[in-house]
Amino acid sequence: MRIIKLNAIDSTNSYLRKLCASNLVTDYTAVMAKKQTQGRGQMGTVWSSQTSKNLTFSVFKNVSAYHLQHPFYISIVVSLAVLKSLQFFSIPKLSIKWPNDILSENKKLCGILIENVLKQNKFSESFIGIGLNVNQTDFKNLPQASSLRLVTGNIFDLDEVAKQIIKNLKVYFDVLEGEHFSMLKTEYESYLFRKNKPSTFKDAEGTVFSGFIKNVSETGSLQVLVEDAVIKEFDFKTITLLY
Amino acid sequence: MDIKEIQNLIKFVAKSGASEVKLEMGDIKITIKTGPDPEATAIQYAPVAAQLPQPMAPVAEPRPVAEAAAPAAPVAETSKYITIKSPIIGTFYRKPSPDKPLFVEVGQTIAEGDVLCIIEAMKLFNEIESEVSGKIVKILVDDSSPVEFDQPLFLVDPS
Repeated sequence: MRIIKLNAIDSTNSYLRKLCASNLVTDYTAVMAKKQTQGRGQMGTVWSSQTSKNLTFSVFKNVSAYHLQHPFYISIVVSLAVLKSLQFFSIPKLSIKWPNDILSENKKLCGILIENVLKQNKFSESFIGIGLNVNQTDFKNLPQASSLRLVTGNIFDLDEVAKQIIKNLKVYFDVLEGEHFSMLKTEYESYLFRKNKPSTFKDAEGTVFSGFIKNVSETGSLQVLVEDAVIKEFDFKTITLLY
Repeated sequence: MDIKEIQNLIKFVAKSGASEVKLEMGDIKITIKTGPDPEATAIQYAPVAAQLPQPMAPVAEPRPVAEAAAPAAPVAETSKYITIKSPIIGTFYRKPSPDKPLFVEVGQTIAEGDVLCIIEAMKLFNEIESEVSGKIVKILVDDSSPVEFDQPLFLVDPS
């Protein structure tokens, strides 16, 4: 296991991308930073994290051998690897908030940012950015955030947690390599946050409606049971779960 | 009916997708045929009654044919360009993040392996690298708009 540790960097994903260009990077090479000055979330959003309290790291994986039709399986693999690692540390009430936030009860512990590179129209490289709240205890203005310490009362060793996640990434990418797609999807769906519970959603137009989260499609869209026993599929951009 | 009106009529028919349009107005009869090849657009223009004065006939015959070939010109020109299509369904982004510069602009020379855009799908950010070298001639999709699988994104002049 190859882990590069940095005191401060703009973004671990960006750093790993640059490192990759120099051919020094092999599968599961990781870059960890005590502090990210420009941590990123979704397009245009930021990931902020207290220095040295949490894990902000990125892992490289070459995915060119997988002949991926549905890149969402990368998201499934990473979500499961993080969730299983947190289970290993006895974090209670874990779930995956679609598409790839990891929660304990209803608080977010971990955000995942995956950047893929397509060469010759094929998925070639994956840069997996993981932001996990570990020992931080105050989340000002973030009522839906929590940390491993807050939910368990224990202080965790950052390296130990990171190593566990990288180990599980390898386990789950091996399952993907074996093309056990339905196994991965079924396991992912079994951990979906608010699955089969009456939930409230907001669509792209701002209309609020209720429904039950059922499953995900191969492409990663969320299948929600709405009125009249109809199952509707939603793209990530078109639905927000209110909770 | 003057030349301008005839030209407009030809353009209208070419755009409409109709394969043949016949029009009779008083002493004028016009037939516009469009084939699968836009260049094959043929025009017949003849007065119905030969005894009537026909000042337009000599002009009208060659001119509309020349005009009919005009809409075909851009098609012939683009054929030497390479179309880069979207390998996946998602949202098309021209920048790595809103405060960063564009990956590529029209007129820019690109090399194989250069990042052209990001297509986001279900929170996965997919950078699309160019398979070709050349010059960006046209960007066919607006920033932050949804794209389908195989939808043309860029026109590249490989020469």
